Amino acid sequence: MEGFLQALAAGLLIGAVYGLMCVGLGLIFGVMRVINFAHGDFMMLGMYTAFYLFTAAGIQTLFGNAVGPFVAILLAGPVLALFGYFVHRALISHVSGTRTASLEGEGHYAQLILTLGIALILQNGGLIVFGSVLASIRTPLSSSAWELGPFFDMSIFLNKARSIDMIVSLAIMVFLSLLITRTRIGKSLRAAADNPTAATYMGIDVDRAHRTAFALGCGITAIAGGLLATNYPFHPFVGLEYVIVMYAGVVLGGMGSIIGAFWGGMTIGLVQQMSTLILPTQLQNAAIFAVFLLIIFFRPQGFFGRMVERT
Amino acid sequence: MLRIERLSAGYSAKPVLNDVSINVGAGQFVAIVGPNGAGKTTLFKTISGIVKPSGGAITFDGVDLLAVPPPQRAHLGIAHVPEGRQVFPSLTVMENLEMGAMTESGRRDWQANIERIFEWLPVLKERRDQFAGTMSGGQQQMLAIGRGLASSPKLLMLDEPSMGLAPSTADFIFERLIEIRRQSGLTMLLVEQRVAEALESADHGYVLEAGHVVLEGNNATLRADDRVRKAYLGM
Repeated sequence: MEGFLQALAAGLLIGAVYGLMCVGLGLIFGVMRVINFAHGDFMMLGMYTAFYLFTAAGIQTLFGNAVGPFVAILLAGPVLALFGYFVHRALISHVSGTRTASLEGEGHYAQLILTLGIALILQNGGLIVFGSVLASIRTPLSSSAWELGPFFDMSIFLNKARSIDMIVSLAIMVFLSLLITRTRIGKSLRAAADNPTAATYMGIDVDRAHRTAFALGCGITAIAGGLLATNYPFHPFVGLEYVIVMYAGVVLGGMGSIIGAFWGGMTIGLVQQMSTLILPTQLQNAAIFAVFLLIIFFRPQGFFGRMVERT
Repeated sequence: MLRIERLSAGYSAKPVLNDVSINVGAGQFVAIVGPNGAGKTTLFKTISGIVKPSGGAITFDGVDLLAVPPPQRAHLGIAHVPEGRQVFPSLTVMENLEMGAMTESGRRDWQANIERIFEWLPVLKERRDQFAGTMSGGQQQMLAIGRGLASSPKLLMLDEPSMGLAPSTADFIFERLIEIRRQSGLTMLLVEQRVAEALESADHGYVLEAGHVVLEGNNATLRADDRVRKAYLGM
């Protein structure tokens, strides 16, 4: 019982960060219908950006070892959003949006090759620039825990860094859902996602909406990456490990649903942690995909997916 | 207000519009009628910039429209109520109307516009928080019209507002359009397959067949024309 509660708590903590990570990808897919295979590598860049902001840009000396990492991680978001903005402007916009709306398959083949190419460049470029040594964002909070309880002589230990990771993730999710549901920008993003042609009739610049979504998606995933880096060491090829989880989360949540992507990621975090109760650690990822297949078998549209495609 | 001169357009090599010239004066209600595949929808898409023309010119209020990027055209005062309604299904009725009001004039007049829209199309007020995708075809058509009106347009372009609707619903929508025009004096350009109703309510009409304007004239001339009577009015 104690083991179960402990795994549940660990799953919720990591699930919130996975959820945030998936939301970044889900936003891009939901608004642009572009499958971005380089998203894991954008996250890797986010991890290194947070790492260098912390260690080399003076944030460590300014804010100390406990708060500093989180300041650096939050700052990595805007940096990667800006990077995403320019990647969209220079590359992605040539194979997506209104330029390819009338092509067969809406330019998906070109998008596939282009994003895979960007992924390769980022991975190998990262290897040259950052080297292959494992890096991590060290904080004293990563190796200490809060004790919850005891309830009925059981105690649950919450890793401090992971708990703060979860709080940051949830705060960004709340901020993002308000942005998407309440603001003019958010509503126009949803309109552009629903029907790009009709959005153009309304005077919405669909390509600009796509650029906004792409930048926002990159920034959010970069923050999630930084949060993960407080507990997991990383290297230039780390994106590959996470991009699969991201896609699984987005599909579970329902393609096109931004809030759904968060719950998809949360589910994956929970399954991953709970599976350690009954399976050896090496089988964590196998467990994720077994559950994934099971859910998709019974609910092919995902948790929040709509069966009706857009017109 | 809207002047289309010798416009040609089409998809890849196949021309759909050939040398089409159409004039819409300020305050006029102009109808374009014709059979399926005549190029009516393509004409509207060319005005909105979704289809690029291969020749000819379009001016709106003296502005060379073809030099204006498509999303900017709405901001000039053109509201396009598209074929098949094309409301935003995952947005609520109110959010759909807000999307109509993305233009500067739409934002400025939002309060007054929304009151008038709710008065003309009360079903939108009743269902303001419902997702547009869950409404019936007729309700979606009314939403599409309301969304167009929310931008405070100078020109309202309506593409087959009766398409796919029960005859009684289509009649109701026509009746609403005539009432809206009577009260607001809005300039309207209507494309319609229900030729009798369209010609009855419009000031001026064009008959488009296979990408050509084959006939034009005011309401009385067209309704008296033998070809129109035989082919479209069933007389």
